[in-house]
Amino acid sequence: MAERDVRFIHEAEVLANDAVAPGHLRMRVRAEEMARHARAGQFCMVQTARGLAPFLRRPMCFERILPDGFQLLYKIEGEGTRLLAEMTPGTRLSIQGPLGNGFDAGPDVARRIIVAGGIGVAPFPALADAILAACGEPPEVVLAARTRDMLLCADLFGALGCRVHLATDDGSAGERAYAAQMLERLEPGPDTRVYACGPIIMMKTTADVALAAGAECHVSLEAHMACGDGACLGCVVEAREEREGERMVRVCVDGPVFDARIIDWEARDHAHDL
Amino acid sequence: MKNPVTVASGTFGYGGEYDRYFDVARLGAVTTKSLSLKPRPGNRPPRLVETPAGMLNAIGLQNVGIDAYLRDKAPFLREKRVPIIGNIYGATPDEYAELARRLEAEDAADAIEANLSCPNVHDAQRATGPVLVSQSCEAIGAYTRAIRAATRLPLFVKLTPNVMNIQEPALAAEEAGADGVCLINTLLGMAIDAETRRPKLSNIVGGLSGPAIRPVAVKMVWDAARALRIPIIGTGGIACAADAIEFLLAGATAVSVGSMSFRQPDAAVQVVEGIEAYLRRHGIGAVTELIGAMQV
Repeated sequence: MAERDVRFIHEAEVLANDAVAPGHLRMRVRAEEMARHARAGQFCMVQTARGLAPFLRRPMCFERILPDGFQLLYKIEGEGTRLLAEMTPGTRLSIQGPLGNGFDAGPDVARRIIVAGGIGVAPFPALADAILAACGEPPEVVLAARTRDMLLCADLFGALGCRVHLATDDGSAGERAYAAQMLERLEPGPDTRVYACGPIIMMKTTADVALAAGAECHVSLEAHMACGDGACLGCVVEAREEREGERMVRVCVDGPVFDARIIDWEARDHAHDL
Repeated sequence: MKNPVTVASGTFGYGGEYDRYFDVARLGAVTTKSLSLKPRPGNRPPRLVETPAGMLNAIGLQNVGIDAYLRDKAPFLREKRVPIIGNIYGATPDEYAELARRLEAEDAADAIEANLSCPNVHDAQRATGPVLVSQSCEAIGAYTRAIRAATRLPLFVKLTPNVMNIQEPALAAEEAGADGVCLINTLLGMAIDAETRRPKLSNIVGGLSGPAIRPVAVKMVWDAARALRIPIIGTGGIACAADAIEFLLAGATAVSVGSMSFRQPDAAVQVVEGIEAYLRRHGIGAVTELIGAMQV
């Protein structure tokens, strides 16, 4: 079926699509109109197949928002991302967005610390750009991963002037430590906003450290989605308390960025990690 | 309806969710998410699994409830002047009747669609026999009669395909006073993660939708059309106008576009335009000429 130009749905062009680590790629696409409206922390729904399988679009955050488009950083997880990885420059693909709420990059706190786990780093180069623009100084960054190979984007943060603290589970680069332990050493305080994205257990422990220190903690969640825009109710996570009669929050339109205090992390432990 | 295309309940929210993609007034009607008397939180996540050319869902009828629908959602659709098919779900015939009565009294629907076939609101581990209302002809009769007595609005009954012979429940709905049936709701299905050995849905079982189920749905519409006098809304895996025309040729009077709206938010309006183009191309004056017009 011919794709048409609909509001919020764009035919983008792949400009580059290169491996950055084993099983991880960075795609640069041209999509001027979407880039003009996109904010750090928002995402788009990428159609990976012209045919009907895979059926659904894939939600992907903006790694970096550029004047003529954006970068996506992704890990090959299944059929959709495998097809994405095969795309060569010049390929056209249908992208829907920008979607979701995005990060608060404002200068209303004194200190900003990004805590990234593995591929969870994906939304943070755009956030670092936004913080630098809004606050005049770059955020601090904790970059944690299982091994050295999976420490992604360190060069991007370095180029922005961020102080980058590396940690690996196996000690192959930086400290042999978990993300939350690294954050603890940075002594966040009540004037700090922590931004976290990564595996559920990493976000939960990071939020525990941040909140115990009186800091804010904003987490960017991931979920399987069908529509990406609030209709299907497939991407919900459980909140700690009801808000306006709703116990569930939708990752797509209520998030993907949430105040860590509203998420029921115990329920997330029981849910399947994605 | 100015055209025979609506959207399947649960795939289009309450209409407003799609407003920024296209003008929903271009549809023949908007079918709402299933409405219950009280708000429902739905099932715990995960609720969604992609499958070959389709998806399994176990949302569990999360909805805002009839009060919030009347207050917050219906005014948008009324302002759009698009016909509303109010889809309702209750635990008893009385609840369905009450929902239909309120939608009519508040002028918040132009037709009622009774969801007697949601697969995701029962405890899958405890269920042994029939678990869906529309798996029992007696139950269909009782529920349909209760709703029929409560409203003068056109009444459609949405049926499950998880039956031996679709003609039986369809006839049960017709005999109990339904003005039409909607075929089909999702097929029961499940998926298991081979590595973790855990079900991929928290509800274990879910409903299969998307292009993968279309041939099953077309066959069921064809079967039902040969037995019924009342019209059929055909639904199940429609991705484009040719798919919708298949349903019309099999005997449906109207169609609803379901999961495809998730992938392509304006899929339903593309189907509207595609049917118009088909009629022009074939020199057909009225879409009704296609109903049941399969040539064997």
